[in-house]
Amino acid sequence: MSKEKNSMVKALVDLPKNVWMSIFRNPLPSSDRGRAATSFSNFFLHIQPVRVSRQALRPTYTMGLGLISFFLFVILMVTGILLMFYYVPSTTQAYDRMLDLRSSVAFGIILRNMHRWAAHAMVAVVFLHMCRVFLTGAYKPPREFNWLIGVTLFILTLFSSFTGYLLPWDQLAFWAITVGTSIAAYAPFIGKSVKFLLLGDATVGQEALLRFYVLHVVVLPTILTMFVAIHFWRIRKDGGLAKPEESAPVPVPVSVEIEQAVPVVASAAVVAAESAPRRFTIQGLVRGPFVKVGKLEEDTVFSWPNLLIAELVVLLITIIGVMAVSIFFNAPLEHPVNVMHPPNPAKAPWYFLGLQEQVSYSAFWGGVGVPGIELLLLALVPYIDRGKAGVGRWFARERVWANALFLTFVLINVVLIVIGTFFRGANWSFVSPF
Amino acid sequence: MRLALAVLSLVLLILAGVVIYGQFQSHWQDSQKEYLNQALAMAKTPAEKASLEGRDPKLEQNIVASFKDAHGGTIVDRCESCHIAVDDPRFDKGNEPVRTHPYLAQLGDVQKNGRWERKHKFSEFGCTTCHDGQGHGLEKADAHGEDDAWPYPLLGFTVQSNWDKSIALHVQGKDYLQANCARCHTDKDFPGTPLVTRGRELFFKTGCFGCHRIQGLSSGTIGPDLTQIGKERKVDYLWGHIVDPRAYTPTSVMPKFKLSDDDRKALVIFLKSRQGTTLAESPMEAFKLDTSTIAPVPESAAAVAATVSANLSTSARGEQLVNGYACLSCHKLGDHDGGISPDLTYEGLIRDHDWLVSHFRTPRSRIPDSNMPAFGLPENDYGDMAAFLLTRTTSPPAMSPADTYKTLCARCHGDKGDGKGVNAIYIDPAPRDLTLAEFMANKPHDRFINSIKNGVPGTSMPPWGKVLTDDQVNGVFSYVWATYVKEKPRELKPRKVPDVNPVAMSQQSVDRGETIFQARCIGCHGKKADGHGPNSPDISPRPRNLRNFAFMNSASDHRLFESINYGVEGTAMPSWLDYGLQQNDVGDIVNYIRSMNKAAK
Repeated sequence: MSKEKNSMVKALVDLPKNVWMSIFRNPLPSSDRGRAATSFSNFFLHIQPVRVSRQALRPTYTMGLGLISFFLFVILMVTGILLMFYYVPSTTQAYDRMLDLRSSVAFGIILRNMHRWAAHAMVAVVFLHMCRVFLTGAYKPPREFNWLIGVTLFILTLFSSFTGYLLPWDQLAFWAITVGTSIAAYAPFIGKSVKFLLLGDATVGQEALLRFYVLHVVVLPTILTMFVAIHFWRIRKDGGLAKPEESAPVPVPVSVEIEQAVPVVASAAVVAAESAPRRFTIQGLVRGPFVKVGKLEEDTVFSWPNLLIAELVVLLITIIGVMAVSIFFNAPLEHPVNVMHPPNPAKAPWYFLGLQEQVSYSAFWGGVGVPGIELLLLALVPYIDRGKAGVGRWFARERVWANALFLTFVLINVVLIVIGTFFRGANWSFVSPF
Repeated sequence: MRLALAVLSLVLLILAGVVIYGQFQSHWQDSQKEYLNQALAMAKTPAEKASLEGRDPKLEQNIVASFKDAHGGTIVDRCESCHIAVDDPRFDKGNEPVRTHPYLAQLGDVQKNGRWERKHKFSEFGCTTCHDGQGHGLEKADAHGEDDAWPYPLLGFTVQSNWDKSIALHVQGKDYLQANCARCHTDKDFPGTPLVTRGRELFFKTGCFGCHRIQGLSSGTIGPDLTQIGKERKVDYLWGHIVDPRAYTPTSVMPKFKLSDDDRKALVIFLKSRQGTTLAESPMEAFKLDTSTIAPVPESAAAVAATVSANLSTSARGEQLVNGYACLSCHKLGDHDGGISPDLTYEGLIRDHDWLVSHFRTPRSRIPDSNMPAFGLPENDYGDMAAFLLTRTTSPPAMSPADTYKTLCARCHGDKGDGKGVNAIYIDPAPRDLTLAEFMANKPHDRFINSIKNGVPGTSMPPWGKVLTDDQVNGVFSYVWATYVKEKPRELKPRKVPDVNPVAMSQQSVDRGETIFQARCIGCHGKKADGHGPNSPDISPRPRNLRNFAFMNSASDHRLFESINYGVEGTAMPSWLDYGLQQNDVGDIVNYIRSMNKAAK
């Protein structure tokens, strides 16, 4: 009886520790084995490899752009869900809800600002991330498919931002979407139907608002999340970030005794065996360049804590950046929608202004033909450019032509966007912003 | 790396602090605290003191059930969160925002037992129903609509940053609130809104009603419908647009009316009060108003008729009517010049009774592109006004050709002869540019003499032959030639042009003509052949409106063939023979043009 009582007391005393351990499985690691176990046994950490190459950690290599995109997406999810509590997708109420956010909802301004600026930033950062991947040749085999996923994610990002643009239901939103969907209508055969499908009507109205809302808060984020997951999974399966050829896996024999098949997930055993000599076990049958078991790559470090801290730093920088901008600059809110008074010029969102500028030269070619070809080329890049040289380095000499071509396209599009944004006035005539 | 992590965490913490601090920094709470402190000092009984001491600032919100905002949304007014003392009579000397809203007998407020009682209680009417502004806002800039994106800034009070400074001066003051009184008090002579009444008078007296429709008041169609202009535009726009319409709409045909600032103010207030369905109407009443046709006698006609003495001869009555209807706010008559429309001084010589009456009834039946509205006045008024104008039969005294030009021609053709007289922008087709030698020197003299003597049908050029002697006409023409054209007439090449269209009029010919016209001519003359093709704004002289039936029916086949075959020198009309048209193609086009004007007539 007393023994039972004792164990009861002990259970109560140990309760916090036991709960903690059952969740985190490992104490703060102090040995390499612990570091590996921590990465393995935590759901969130096991998305990352146990060891990561130094190359991938160099800020000058990735600039953290992919990660920033992801964190912006997380910020957008969080702020977006909070905003959903206040928003009504109704033409009579939406604008009033914006006013309420601005003046009487607790933290309403900062929420809306963060959502708005993070959305703009995400479009830009995703694009820059794509540029980084191209310019370091990181789309080459075996990463072709991940490039394709990435291009899809870029399009989804644009579309998410575009659908969100309508929701404030002010003049800016209304006319930008009117212009944007009109550009879509220039597509041959399906253009008109796509426009009608998007708007649910001949013009932007209640139906369009509802459709854009559902797309923006349910459909697109779900698809985006799925594709992000696939994107991450493929990074692991493709052997981490692209590395230069020279430092490609040089198998280094490591003295590993495969003697004790202790499943690492059995945490209690691991904790108990913490002091035992370093040992690794085969986690599964793998082949190809993917996972190295029994061999340690040169020039790698443990993810815990190196990668984790780097990621935390990027996360903090992202949040601080978005928050600082949101404190100093308010998201625009223009006149309530007035169908009778289009602004002159009516402009699409900035990332489509390059398109609008092209449309002003030729409706079909500018709005559909050229961008369609550009997107197709972009998607097919890894299947066209099959050369193996120049992977994992910025502006590799071997890739000078590919890079030059890509940069030319980027430059043309950026210049078109700049012209469309700053140099176009009433009736789309050329004006000087100075 | 760890140091960076620590520093960044600190920065994030500070930013979060800033955000949270900002969240609890609200000015409306300061106003309420100020009010509570002062009220505490004024409190007389301990009970009153106790109740005030226990009070914390709280958001005051008025949800107005009886009225809707301009979009049909619910009015949510949080104004009293700052303006906390509006109903506390002790603060009548306070500083805004902690100040009593004045009690005014004009507003229907009454004193009972020494205490004022409001007629328009804030709980029932809200604040923005009368004052505009943004009821949701809790910061001054938001609530007062200072941001130029807000369509309803505090009426007569808030000036938005993008307003023209010279205009902003005029559109401030309590008087402007009358516009919102009229949202409910729609009676024509409501004593509380004298400026709305005045503006309404001016709307009829200045002739605005002729072009603009306002539901239930007027039915003009030349200009935009003003039924809800007060909802669509802010006061600065209304003022500026009345002063100079073309500063806002470059292609506007609205005249610059000569008005005093007081009249402009009354008009702006009246227009601001036009908000579509008024708050006083039931949906059924609004529907009836919307679908009813306005009686041909507008308010002003009845008012003018009342001022005209009954026992007058028709022409004397006509004179009073011409003055009463303010015809001279546009036209010239004797010494009075409205600066917009043609000179009526010699009307008795130039026109006859039929022309005048039919022109009154529908100006566009005579001059198809006239900007004069069909005013819809009583038929016998037209007769009397025509009778009066027909008494204007005094020819101008004999003058030198230069003075004749200055008196009769310069008003349209301009002092420099360049077709840019004071009223030229209101005249369509535009007055001929007499300095355009390329055109002038390539046409036979007879044609010009004929235009002066007999006028040009379908345009504002009157038959001066009825006013001037042949010698005077020739004198003016020689003067024009010597002063403006300054070139010798060129030798006209003999051209092969048929006198009568060789292609017989038939449906097939018209169809062929339409096909060619739609392929070749619409860039300038427009799809409807009304002279408003996409290239037309850049062309001077403007392409001819080929649906101006009065003009087109007076033009001979010979002239049409010549213009199409060989082009018109000095204009953008090219020689279509050079562009591959055959004589019978041109015949088809002429038939097409003729067929359109037959239908129009």
